[in-house]
Amino acid sequence: MTDIIKTSKLCKTFSNGGIQQHVLRNIDMTIRKGDFTIIMGASGAGKSTLLYSLSGMDKPTLGEISFDGEEITKKNSDQMAMFRRKNCGFVFQQTYLVDSMSVLDNVMAAGLLNDNDRNAVIKRSQDILKKVDIGEELWGKFPNQLSGGEAQRVGIARAFVNSPKIVFADEPTGALNSKTGKDVLDALTGFNRNGQTIVMVTHDMTSARRGNRILYVRDGEIAGELDLGTYVSGDRDRHQKLRDFLSGMGW
Amino acid sequence: MNKIILLTKSHFKKNRGSSVGILLLMVIASLLISMSLLIITDAYPTARKESDRLNAGDGYLRVTTNSGSFDDDGIRTLMGDDVSEYCVYRCLNYVACALPFGDGDMSVNVMVGDRDAFGKTIGRTEIVTEDISVKSDYIYLPYQFSTSGGYSIGDTFSFDLNGGRYVLTVRGFTTTPYHGCNNTGSFELVVDDATYERIYERDHEVASCVTIYYKLREGVTQSKFAIRVNNDVIVMDPMAVITGNLSIENTISGRTFMSLILVVSFLTITAIVAFVIVLMLSNSISIFIRENMKTIGALKAIGYTSSDIRRSVIAQFLILSVIGSLTGIIVSFISMPFIGKFIVAQMGIPYTVSFNAIPVIVTVGSMLIFTFLIAELAVIKIRKIEPIIALRNGLESHNFKRNSLPLSKSPFSLDMSLGLKTMFFNMKQNIITFLIMGVIVFICILGLLMYENFNRNPKLGMLAFEVTGGVVAFDNDTKEEAREYLEDREDATNIRQIITLDMTYNGEDSLCVYIVDDTAKLNNQDVCYQGRLPQYDNEIAVSGVFARDYSLNIGEEVSITYGDRSYPYLITGLIQTTNNNGREGVMSMDAAGRVIDLTNSPGYFWFDCEDKETSAAILEGCNERFGDHLLSKMNFYEIIDGSLMTFKSLAALMLVTIVIISAAVILLVLYLLIKALIYNKRRDYGIYKAIGYTSRDLVLQTAISFMPSILISTVLFSVISYFTVNPFMNIIMISFGLMKCSFDIPIPGVVITAAGMIVLSFIFALISSGRVRKIEAYEMITGE
Repeated sequence: MTDIIKTSKLCKTFSNGGIQQHVLRNIDMTIRKGDFTIIMGASGAGKSTLLYSLSGMDKPTLGEISFDGEEITKKNSDQMAMFRRKNCGFVFQQTYLVDSMSVLDNVMAAGLLNDNDRNAVIKRSQDILKKVDIGEELWGKFPNQLSGGEAQRVGIARAFVNSPKIVFADEPTGALNSKTGKDVLDALTGFNRNGQTIVMVTHDMTSARRGNRILYVRDGEIAGELDLGTYVSGDRDRHQKLRDFLSGMGW
Repeated sequence: MNKIILLTKSHFKKNRGSSVGILLLMVIASLLISMSLLIITDAYPTARKESDRLNAGDGYLRVTTNSGSFDDDGIRTLMGDDVSEYCVYRCLNYVACALPFGDGDMSVNVMVGDRDAFGKTIGRTEIVTEDISVKSDYIYLPYQFSTSGGYSIGDTFSFDLNGGRYVLTVRGFTTTPYHGCNNTGSFELVVDDATYERIYERDHEVASCVTIYYKLREGVTQSKFAIRVNNDVIVMDPMAVITGNLSIENTISGRTFMSLILVVSFLTITAIVAFVIVLMLSNSISIFIRENMKTIGALKAIGYTSSDIRRSVIAQFLILSVIGSLTGIIVSFISMPFIGKFIVAQMGIPYTVSFNAIPVIVTVGSMLIFTFLIAELAVIKIRKIEPIIALRNGLESHNFKRNSLPLSKSPFSLDMSLGLKTMFFNMKQNIITFLIMGVIVFICILGLLMYENFNRNPKLGMLAFEVTGGVVAFDNDTKEEAREYLEDREDATNIRQIITLDMTYNGEDSLCVYIVDDTAKLNNQDVCYQGRLPQYDNEIAVSGVFARDYSLNIGEEVSITYGDRSYPYLITGLIQTTNNNGREGVMSMDAAGRVIDLTNSPGYFWFDCEDKETSAAILEGCNERFGDHLLSKMNFYEIIDGSLMTFKSLAALMLVTIVIISAAVILLVLYLLIKALIYNKRRDYGIYKAIGYTSRDLVLQTAISFMPSILISTVLFSVISYFTVNPFMNIIMISFGLMKCSFDIPIPGVVITAAGMIVLSFIFALISSGRVRKIEAYEMITGE
C-alpha cells in the first residue's frame, strides 16, 4: 500500500504565559492509502492535535507533512482551506453542523465546493444521506431537530460527499450512546471497505477495533503501532490482540 | 460601586471594537447637534448681534435729492413725532451700479462717502481691518468684498460711477448694519477726502442724497411710518427719489436669507442623520448585550445581581456618551470658524466663534438622556437571563422554522446562495440596514438637489422674480427709440419692460410691484404657482406670503395705493418670491395706469441674449448709441457670477459634508452590524473553514448578505426620493416665500449617487467582513 501522508519530525508546542508545552515531539509516521487508521492514547497525549495537524487544520510548530507527495505545512490559511476541500473530509465529535441550514443543505454546502454541477451534487448528497441511513423525511430538518446519532451520520455524509482522499474523524462516537455509536462506526467501516482512507482518533476500544492499524500516542510521541488486519465482526482474536497491545502500552 | 467600576472596565476591555464604533457614532451625532446649535445660536444671529453693536436703530430712509428742503429743519419736520432719535448722513448715491465682485459684477445701489461715514451715531459704519500706510486714492469696501468678493487690503479696486472711471487702492474693510451685503441691495463705499471731492464735483447734481437712520417711538409701526414719509418726501420735493426705506428687520432677513436656506437644510440633514444614529445606537446596544450573554450568565452565576450588571452596562454607555459628546463638541468648535465663515460670508459680517454654553449643555444633556433611555430599555432583558441558559448558549434569537433558499433549489452561485442564506438568518439587521440606507439615500439626493440647483445650474427662477440676459434703463426722452434699437438688434430677444414700484396695501403695508408691459413675455412663468399672471388692466398677482398674511385669495379684490390714488385690483394668481420679505406683486402697465401715470417715467428694458459676452456687447452698444440717456445697465450673467459665488460654495460645502457624513455613517453601521453578525455566526464560519471554505469565500458571502437590502433600499429610496424631495423642500422653502418648489433633480446624478453608494457599501462591507479571516477552524473545535 502507498503512503498518503508522511510526517517528518513533526512537533507542536503550545505556549501559555511563557510556559511551553510540547504536545507533539518529533513524530515520524505515515498514513497508508485505504487504511482505517486509529490513533489512540490517554487524554492529553496529543492524539487530537496530531489528527488536526495531519489534516492541515492546525499548523505544526516544526517538521513537515507530506500529503500525496506534496508538502503542506508551508501553505497559508486559504491554501489550506483549498487543500482540505479538495482532499479531506471531517467528522467531529460535536458534529458541527451549520444550525441555520437544513440537513440536505449541510451536505450540499460541502458538495458544491468541488462541483458546480448542482444537480449532480444534489443527487450525490441524497445518495450519501441514504447510505448513512438518513431518510428523505429528515432532509429538510434542521440539525437541532435531529437526534445525536442522526446528526453525526449527517456529519459523516458531509465528510464523504466529495469522495475525499482521506477522512479524519475525531471521536465521532464520543457523544453518542452505544447503539447510535455502532451505527456511526458501521457507516465508517462501510466506506473504508470501499477503499476510503480514514484516520480516526478514539479512546474507545470498541471503536478502535474497526481499524486495521492502531497508532498509540504517548507524551506526544508514537509509542507503538499495531497491524490488526481487516475488520471482521465478532473476531475475538482481533479483540484480544488489541487488548494485549494496549496493555503493553500502559492503557 | 467598586464592583460596578470593575465590571464597566471589563466591558470596555472585552468590547473595544464595538465601543469604538459606538463612540464614533456618538461623536458624529454630537458633532452635528453641536454644530447645528452653534450655527443657530452663534453664527446665524451674527447679523442681529452686529446690528445691535452698531446701534442700527429701526431703519433708514435714503432720498436722492438736491433740494434745500432736506435741511436740518426739513428733516426734523419729516421725522416728526414718530421718531425718538435720528442721525443724518449726506453722501452720493448711485442706483443699480455695477461693482466688480468675485468672478463677475454685483449690481446694487452704491453709496459713496468720505470719512464722515465713520461718524454716524445710529447705523454706524466701523472699520474691520485697515492698512493705514495707504495714504491716498484709497477706498474702504464693505467686508463682504473680503469674505466673498475676492479682495484683500492693498488690492486695486476699479469701478465706474455714472460714466466716471475710478481706480483706487483698498485700504480696509468696513462693517455696517444696512449697506454691507448685496442681499440688502445697498453697498457703502468710503473713499479718501480728495477722491470724494472729485466724485462730488462731478456727480453731486444727480447723486446727492441724504440718509436718515432713525429709532421709532414705541407704538409706531415701521410700515405705517414708511408709508407716511414716502408721501411726505414727494411733497417736500417732487423730484426726489426714495432709493431706500428699509427697516432693520427687513435688512437682517435680506442679509441672512440665503444663509438661512442653508442653515435650515443643514438642520434638516442633521435631524435625519441623528435619527439614523439613534436607530443604530439602540441596535448596537442590543447587539452588545447579546454578544455578552455568556459573560452576563457567568457574572450572575458568581453572584452579581441583574441590577449590578445593568448599572455597569449603562455606565459603560454613559461614559461613551460623555466622551463622544465632548469630542463632538470640541470638533464642532474647531470646525466652526470654517463652517461659520461660509455661513456669514454671504452676510458680509466679521465672524469669530464665541464660547457658547448652549451647544455644550444641550449636546451633552441630550446625548446622556438619549443614551440612558436607550440603554435602560435595552438592558431590561438582562433581568430575564437565567445564568445557566446564558452560560450554555446565550439567548437563542433565531428560530429555524424555514430553510430559506434551499441550496438544492437556489438558482444562484454557491457564494451568492450562502450569502443570501446569511441574509435571511440576519433579517433584523438587514431591515435596519435597509432603513438606514434609505434615509442616507434621501439626504444624498437632497444634497444633490441643492448642489444642482444652487451651484451647478442655479435655479434662478426660484430666487429671482425674472431671469434675463441684461437690463438697460433709458430716460423718458429716448426710451421709445431705445426700445426700437433693442428690437432691431438680432442678438437681443424678448424685449420687455419691467418697472418696480413700491405701492401700499390698505395704508398699512408696502408691496413691491413689478409692472410688466406683457406678462406673457416673462421667462419665469413659474413665478406664478397658483392661478395665472395678470393680463388685464384690473388684475394683479400677489405673493403667496402676502396673500396668506392678509387672508386674501384668488378672485378677491385688493386695494392698492400709490401716492393719493387707489384701485381695487382683482387677484388672478399667487406668485412665489423670496425678496422683500414676500411683499411682492405683479401687474400690467395698463393696470398700473389706474394709480400712476407712467408716460414720463424712464424705460427699463429687459432682454434675453446668448451669453455674458453678448450681453456686454448689447450694453456697450446702448452706451455708445445713447450716451448720457442711458441711466443704468446691468449684465445679468455677471451679476449671477458675482452674487452667487458664496452661495455656490455653500451648496458645494453642503454636498461634501453630506457625502462625508453619509460615508462615515455607512462605514460605521456596516462595521457594527457585520461585526455582530460574525460574532453570532463565528461557530458556523469555523465549520465552513474546516470543511474547506476559504476566508475569501466567507468574506464575500458576508458582504453579499448585506447587499440585497442595500441594493433594494438604494434603488427604492432613489426613486422615492426623486419624487418626494421636492415636496420635502417645499415644506422647508415655504417659510422663505417659495410656495411651490420645482427644483431639478438630474436623473444621471441620482443614478451615479445610487451606484456610488452601492459600490461604496460593498467595499465597506468587504472591508468589515475581513475579520472573518481571524476565525480559525481549529479554534472552533478546541472551543477557543
